[in-house]
Amino acid sequence: MAGAAYPNWDAVYRDNVTWVYRLMYGKVGNQPDAEDLTAEVFMTALKPLRVSATVPEVRKYLRMTARTVLASYWGERMGRPVTSIEEDVPEAIEPESVTSDAPDKVRRLLERLPDNYRRILELRFLQAFSVREAASQMGVSVANAKVLQFRALRMAAQSGEEATS
Amino acid sequence: MSDRTIRRFVEGLLRGQRTEHARPDDFEAEQMKTAIELRAARLGSDAPREEFVTDLHRKLAAEMSEEQAPVSHPRWAPRRREVVIGGSVAAASAAAGLVVGRNLLTPAVTQQATPPTQGELEPNAGTWRTVGASGDLPEGGALAFDLGSVNGFVHRTDAKLEAVSGVCTHQGCKLWLDAPESRLRCPCHSTSFSLEGTTVTHQLPIAPPPLPKFQVREINGVIEVFAPTEPA
Repeated sequence: MAGAAYPNWDAVYRDNVTWVYRLMYGKVGNQPDAEDLTAEVFMTALKPLRVSATVPEVRKYLRMTARTVLASYWGERMGRPVTSIEEDVPEAIEPESVTSDAPDKVRRLLERLPDNYRRILELRFLQAFSVREAASQMGVSVANAKVLQFRALRMAAQSGEEATS
Repeated sequence: MSDRTIRRFVEGLLRGQRTEHARPDDFEAEQMKTAIELRAARLGSDAPREEFVTDLHRKLAAEMSEEQAPVSHPRWAPRRREVVIGGSVAAASAAAGLVVGRNLLTPAVTQQATPPTQGELEPNAGTWRTVGASGDLPEGGALAFDLGSVNGFVHRTDAKLEAVSGVCTHQGCKLWLDAPESRLRCPCHSTSFSLEGTTVTHQLPIAPPPLPKFQVREINGVIEVFAPTEPA
């Protein structure tokens, strides 16, 4: 199947829209921006696409387009690339594996934190608790929970920085 | 020490809002990245909304058909940037956006995918239930019925009766009878079916299956449909 091509743009879209969205969502963390960026990728990529391109070529091209689109998004919003899409991906990467290492990475990150720091981040980010709910779960004041969350994120970011560098 | 940049960013992120403009330093950017990774790891939050996928498909169809047949379309297509921004507005009011979009953007898209075959509804336990008098259904007419457990439409063409389910096969919205056009229309995603139950128009990535049929008969001046027996 490596040499197979898509019959038309419609097939390109259907086969790839989910992983492109997931990729973008993993890089921006919110739905409205992820939707806009996904739309921009397909709006930009589909017209110039050669009809004869093979499936892996199309995916690579979409990924490169996504990379550019994300870079210009962060440039405009923050003046710097907060997150990015890596350029060097193995050939014929399966779309399903695009974001598969993210949960592992987060788990490792959380494991390195002290208990109460890990707890507040889990409650707020992974389990969608409000500050008030998280505070009551942990038996601390709301003000305390806010401080905990702030410090926990700082420490997580520091440890993430060290782990990657 | 000012931590407003990070606090604002994280609050917005946890509320599911768009990223606002800011000018973070190195360490703030690293915290933002960590926050995004944590948020994106929440289970089940990274699948695209079906309305979004459908809506974008329709916009792409408009863009692509404009390129292929420039003469047959008026220049209504918005520019690329506007499309992207407009998309989120439409997404915010998904149903309304799609209906408006149908009229404005894609003049009657008919997709001839290969739909699954049309089945007949065969309940484990069923009875013949009256849905109307023969006189209510003239030649060429259609009649809506609602039997509680099922609802649908029966029509008479060439003196023959046929009855189909009145529930859209996409997401279960109730169809309405567009009698002048002889169509059954879905209020949710502007899908339409023929009175025979075949899918006529839709704007979904994959054509919804045709409507299941009911067994129908006419006895002693009444029309009856074979429907599931009501639970005792």
